[in-house]
Amino acid sequence: MTNRRHIYTAASLFLLVAGMVGLAFASVPLYRLFCQVTGFGGTPRVATGGLSTGTDSSDRQITVRFDSNVNSALPWRFKPVLRQTSVRIGEEKLALFTAENIGEKAATGTASFNVTPYKAARYFAKVQCFCFEEQRLEAGQKVDMPVSFFVDPEILDDPNARDVSTITLSYTFFPAEPEGDANSW
Amino acid sequence: MFTHFRSVATLIALACATVASDSSAAGLATPWQVDLQPAASPVAEQIQSFNAILFTMEALITLGVLGLMGFIIWRFNAKRNPVPNKRTHNTALEVLWTVVPILILVVIAFPSLRLLFFMDRTFDADMTIKVVGHQWYWSYEYPDHGDFTFDSVMIPDDELKPGQPRLLAVDNPVVVPVGVNVRVLLTSDDVIHSWAVPSLGLKTDTVPGRTNETWVRVNEEGTYYGMCSELCGVNHGYMPVAVKAVSKAEFDVWSKNAKQEFADNGASTTRVVQAPREVSPREVSQ
Amino acid sequence: MSAAHHPTGWRRWVYSTNHKDIGTMYIVLSMIGAIIGGGMSWYIRLELAQPGIQFIDDTQLYNVMVTAHGFLMVFFVVMPAMIGGFGNWFVPLMIGAPDMSFPRMNNISFWLLAAALVLLVLAGVTGGGPGTGWTVYPPLSSATYHPGPAVDLAILSLHVAGASSILGAINLITTIVNMRAPGMTMHRAPLFVWAILVTAFLLLLAIPVLAGALTMLLTDRNFGTTFFVPEGGGDPILWQHLFWFFGHPEVYIIIIPAFGIISQIIATFSKKPVFGYLGMAYAMCAIGFVGFVVWAHHMYTVGLDVNTRAYFVLATMVIAVPTGIKIFSWLATMWGGSIELKTPMLFATGFIALFVAGGVTGVVLSNAGMDVALHDTYYVVAHFHYVLSIAAVFAMYAGFYYWIGKMSGRQYSETLGKIHFWASFVGVNLLFFPQHFLGAAGMPRRIPDYPDAYAGWNMVSSVGALITAIGTFFFLYIVWHTLTRGRAAEANPWGVGATTLEWTVPSPAPFHTHEDLPKIEAAQGVE
Repeated sequence: MTNRRHIYTAASLFLLVAGMVGLAFASVPLYRLFCQVTGFGGTPRVATGGLSTGTDSSDRQITVRFDSNVNSALPWRFKPVLRQTSVRIGEEKLALFTAENIGEKAATGTASFNVTPYKAARYFAKVQCFCFEEQRLEAGQKVDMPVSFFVDPEILDDPNARDVSTITLSYTFFPAEPEGDANSW
Repeated sequence: MFTHFRSVATLIALACATVASDSSAAGLATPWQVDLQPAASPVAEQIQSFNAILFTMEALITLGVLGLMGFIIWRFNAKRNPVPNKRTHNTALEVLWTVVPILILVVIAFPSLRLLFFMDRTFDADMTIKVVGHQWYWSYEYPDHGDFTFDSVMIPDDELKPGQPRLLAVDNPVVVPVGVNVRVLLTSDDVIHSWAVPSLGLKTDTVPGRTNETWVRVNEEGTYYGMCSELCGVNHGYMPVAVKAVSKAEFDVWSKNAKQEFADNGASTTRVVQAPREVSPREVSQ
Repeated sequence: MSAAHHPTGWRRWVYSTNHKDIGTMYIVLSMIGAIIGGGMSWYIRLELAQPGIQFIDDTQLYNVMVTAHGFLMVFFVVMPAMIGGFGNWFVPLMIGAPDMSFPRMNNISFWLLAAALVLLVLAGVTGGGPGTGWTVYPPLSSATYHPGPAVDLAILSLHVAGASSILGAINLITTIVNMRAPGMTMHRAPLFVWAILVTAFLLLLAIPVLAGALTMLLTDRNFGTTFFVPEGGGDPILWQHLFWFFGHPEVYIIIIPAFGIISQIIATFSKKPVFGYLGMAYAMCAIGFVGFVVWAHHMYTVGLDVNTRAYFVLATMVIAVPTGIKIFSWLATMWGGSIELKTPMLFATGFIALFVAGGVTGVVLSNAGMDVALHDTYYVVAHFHYVLSIAAVFAMYAGFYYWIGKMSGRQYSETLGKIHFWASFVGVNLLFFPQHFLGAAGMPRRIPDYPDAYAGWNMVSSVGALITAIGTFFFLYIVWHTLTRGRAAEANPWGVGATTLEWTVPSPAPFHTHEDLPKIEAAQGVE
């Protein structure tokens, strides 16, 4: 009993299915975009140009802590130079991390990062950092990695985030070898 | 009426707890326990009192529906009521049973959100510790006390000393001072784990590549146990959490000693491609 | 075409395009899945009866059993029984249609599912098996921590099962939308038909998202992509969002057909139409719709923003309202009725009571603050087993007893049925109620051994599992007894309460029914 009406119904339902599959794959860039825009999950903002001129920096101080992690498959030592620093809200500041390859061969690492508490993340803007490039260190090489950041004064207007007195910026370095995880049967 | 419910609920909960558990031990479960572990932190206390509200509601609703159904089956049994009526609508009733559940949910929502936001509060923490999940043990870092780190591994059955609870005791518990707000940062070195201590009202997943944050203030000295709460591989059941809360003075002494005893944090991250430590169940259950 | 002309022998089954035969095959597959999946759970309960490791030395095997038990029960027991089995059998009968819209696609749907079952079993026995839980979270499910073919085979199995469900859903919707007999408006269709219609739409919207996520996991594992790999800029939490976006509607996909079955049975055995028919139909639609926007209540501890969690708390609580409407409507149906407690009605009333018990623990869990204490503990296991392993399974048993006469031409023995009910009722409550206590006391899920304090309730739970197992085998005996010795069933064994169209055709239902379309003049006794 396969008349035209049935084919129409089935075809529209197939389109619905295809749409949902598309949505599932679109979720990958959409998820990243959503996190960047809202700061959810502790995603800090990436400021392209630093503080816009004319932004009032307030007198309130906020503590920024630095946390570092290295995946055990990467033979590096990676630490912040200072464990924490006090910064005026709105003031741009530079923080330094040092990374040292203590293994026997050259190794390349990439970093993932986030900010806690999450509600403060959208007000934490990184101006310049090392996070988007792969870093290659020869055996025994030691480098300084700078991060330039500021805390957006808009945080003071957010009733939820206003009470935050300490923000933690956390980096995790992973090995960047492309041959990493292919399955072996 | 609301407070009346609360006291009734608390009474019921207390009764259950007293009847069912030997409440002298805090920080871990007791045999035949039916209720939450005794609360040892402000968050856990709030969870307990919220639970009393929830428990009252759910018990009343379940027993109410059960009772009503029992009555209906008895009263409208075919023998007692051979002729069924044909009523299929009653607007007042339908409105009532839509609105009343909504009201009950609203009543639950207020304390629920209050608890949620209290757990999420960030205020001045006096110190920070970092928790890292591994297959299959936890490691703890103390960035504010000299940046030392150590592993906390379950003690296998055949190495337990008397008084150490099986599957919960560890070689190095994480030590914190009582009465102090502790910020806890959490991450994982491999797969997703979850750091949980029920009596302290703590449970936060540890996700690789991401740092989560929570806080705790322990009310009293003691050792508080928990277990990994996210399936993480073969020894998921064998990586317990042990939090030892001591006086501030004792903590100061301990942290100075620990800094010397444990490897400095910098050195610990130099472990090169270390294979996950295998704690095979065979070892454990001997 | 002569009504007597239909294929025989193995071709009748392998090449079947008959909705009744295909429905029967789905039910048989479901029973096979139940024995394997149930067997695994009994083995797990055997191990957990006492502290210490007694039987399952190999913890990977334990994790694989936990995983396979979950997959089997969801995809190869409950779904095939309710949607493929009762859906195929009774939707065309109830709407007055001679068969489904696409009878050959119906056949493919079934055999795809059979293939998926084989693939899942293969996954369990190759390369150490998938020890990830049915939730398959990376990185544990990634190639680094689960090398080898096991997880890939499991992914493939789910893809094939998903395809089966999607084709089946398209078939059901097209049938219900286009093939209702003249005069049967949607508002005159039985509530079971509404339930299957809503379920089919949920399938079409949810399964593709699972398929997308599974494909991403497959490429992460084998082709170097990094969707869920933090090293490559991916996020393991994205998997959780995608999985639960499917996973939560999935549980409504399981329970909504059960709602439909219960509505039919309550009405029949109270000899009254269902109270508030429109409210019931639209409550199912509301539950289905809201079910799509609550997924992150499975993720309260992963590190979500507090406002996100607050939203999901409120959205999840909203579902309790249409669900409550249904419970009260069933009670109002029974009120004033003339109730006969035959076996289908016993299971249906058991469903109502136990679904409410499971539902309220769901409301407890929906509170993110409370969930910190209960997430990943046995409290969650208790909750979902109450609503699935008790309520949904009771609905399946109820449907079996209600319809077996129509399907086979033989009626079950009322005495045996009642024994089965009481054995099951005692067994499942002993099995799952103590698990609330274990969870509240802090016992986590998915562990093969536990601290000694949890021993007491674990033993009680395992005794309950034993009784449940006996009850299940007794049920298999009843099936055999009914099919070989049951007395002949009349077209309508239930009397005036049975007002839907399947009771107007002979028992067993002939190979072809409704070849002349019935004309529907009035509401079908459901209004």
